[in-house]
Amino acid sequence: MLGKLLKYDLKWVYKVVTVFYILAVFFSLLGRFFNNIENSVVFSAITQFTFGFAIAMMASSLINCLMRLWARFIKNLYKDESYLTHTIPVEKKTIFLSKVLAAAISVFTTAVVIIVCLFICYYSKENLQALKGMLEIAATTYDTTVVNLLLLMAFVFFLEVMFMILIGYVGIILGHKSNKNKMTKTILIGFALYMLTQFVTLGVVFIFGLFNQSVMNLVNTTDIVNMEAIKLVMTGGIGLYTIYIAFYYWLGKKAFQKGVNVE
Amino acid sequence: MELLECKHLCKEFDSKKILKDINLIIPKGKIIGLLGKNGAGKSTFIKLINDLLIPTSGEILINGKKPGIDSKEIIAYLPERTYLDKEMTIKQSIIYFEEFYSNFNSEKAKKLLKDLNLDINTKISKMSKGMQEKLQLILVMSRTAELYILDEPLGGVDPATRDYILDTILSNFSDGASVIISTHLISDIERILDEVIFMNNGEIALTSSADELRNSEKSSIDDIFRRYFKC
Repeated sequence: MLGKLLKYDLKWVYKVVTVFYILAVFFSLLGRFFNNIENSVVFSAITQFTFGFAIAMMASSLINCLMRLWARFIKNLYKDESYLTHTIPVEKKTIFLSKVLAAAISVFTTAVVIIVCLFICYYSKENLQALKGMLEIAATTYDTTVVNLLLLMAFVFFLEVMFMILIGYVGIILGHKSNKNKMTKTILIGFALYMLTQFVTLGVVFIFGLFNQSVMNLVNTTDIVNMEAIKLVMTGGIGLYTIYIAFYYWLGKKAFQKGVNVE
Repeated sequence: MELLECKHLCKEFDSKKILKDINLIIPKGKIIGLLGKNGAGKSTFIKLINDLLIPTSGEILINGKKPGIDSKEIIAYLPERTYLDKEMTIKQSIIYFEEFYSNFNSEKAKKLLKDLNLDINTKISKMSKGMQEKLQLILVMSRTAELYILDEPLGGVDPATRDYILDTILSNFSDGASVIISTHLISDIERILDEVIFMNNGEIALTSSADELRNSEKSSIDDIFRRYFKC
């Protein structure tokens, strides 16, 4: 049943997001094409214009992906369609898992499309060397290669976006438990949970800083940044976000399994 | 033997009691009219049976079990609103039902749709509200369920369509199944009812066999209803 639910969830999200993917790739290719044409003021302006459009489409694909995931969650589980979703013989935890997996898959593909488009727009040997030079210092600090560092950064981006989506899901579930002002409560709960989690993160960094002076120096001095401290914070951050995602998944599943009050 | 049992079922919305201490048994193999004025609590009661609302207190048992996967497998529910994804075509909605309900008979659904001269490649959003409701009815009645729950199936439709809906219900529900029809348009359905349940202000006001009630009161159920709920 999970596979069937996932198919319908992904279909709904990709129906619109795919248009932005296509536009992002199209404008990236177009920009690249104009960029390769002999230098002139007109072509330079067109290039900048199309690259600008490509960047806008990349941002739109990510924003639309997030918005459609949340919209699908509300529409499918609390509006008219919920009368069908909640009466099919599928466990509530499976329905919730399908929504989370749809989020993970669509965020991943959006990230891939953005990376591919950026590559199309800006790839050149010089740019690659410059980027490599910039990241090499950071990569050395992490005792890793530039490629691994890029993958790590993509993973951090993925975790951050998944964390936001899950906060949104939990906000929707808790906000829709109430009978009045469901949307207002959804937004307020989602925002409150996000802020609360960020304060917890600061608290954890502070407590860690009590035992590690270099980490504490990151927040209370203007000294030159200690790369070792940043490395610790980054690694800890990945761990923390993984815990948050696991926690909000558990919380959302628990609250959702208790039942719904559809409109 | 009982198919559905409610014990001290209550539902409140913001301290307002919508259902008050409902105790009820629905037997197998009966067509039951859930009758009451607008706002009597009929839809809330039906939503509770279908796991669309959480009871404030009390419990519902369907074949001895609380609402869940097992009950959803045997209950075919037609809500009062259109619940299909309007971006789908009729064909896609049939596939959806086929995928999720093991007791869905797609051949039966296609035959019923053919009788309506509906092209299965039509997008649901392009259909009128009335046709969408007919499509939903066909999908629901194409399941081999043990309990059919139809919430206001006759609401807002013309008399000819009412006849079509009633005929579709009567000729398609499975043998031995029970049908609960919620409505306030009693004259249209009273000929098919075995049992009646009157609901008023969130309470069960009366339960009776339709024939017994007609004989004892010497009038139609529609008349009894009008007398009972006179404003």
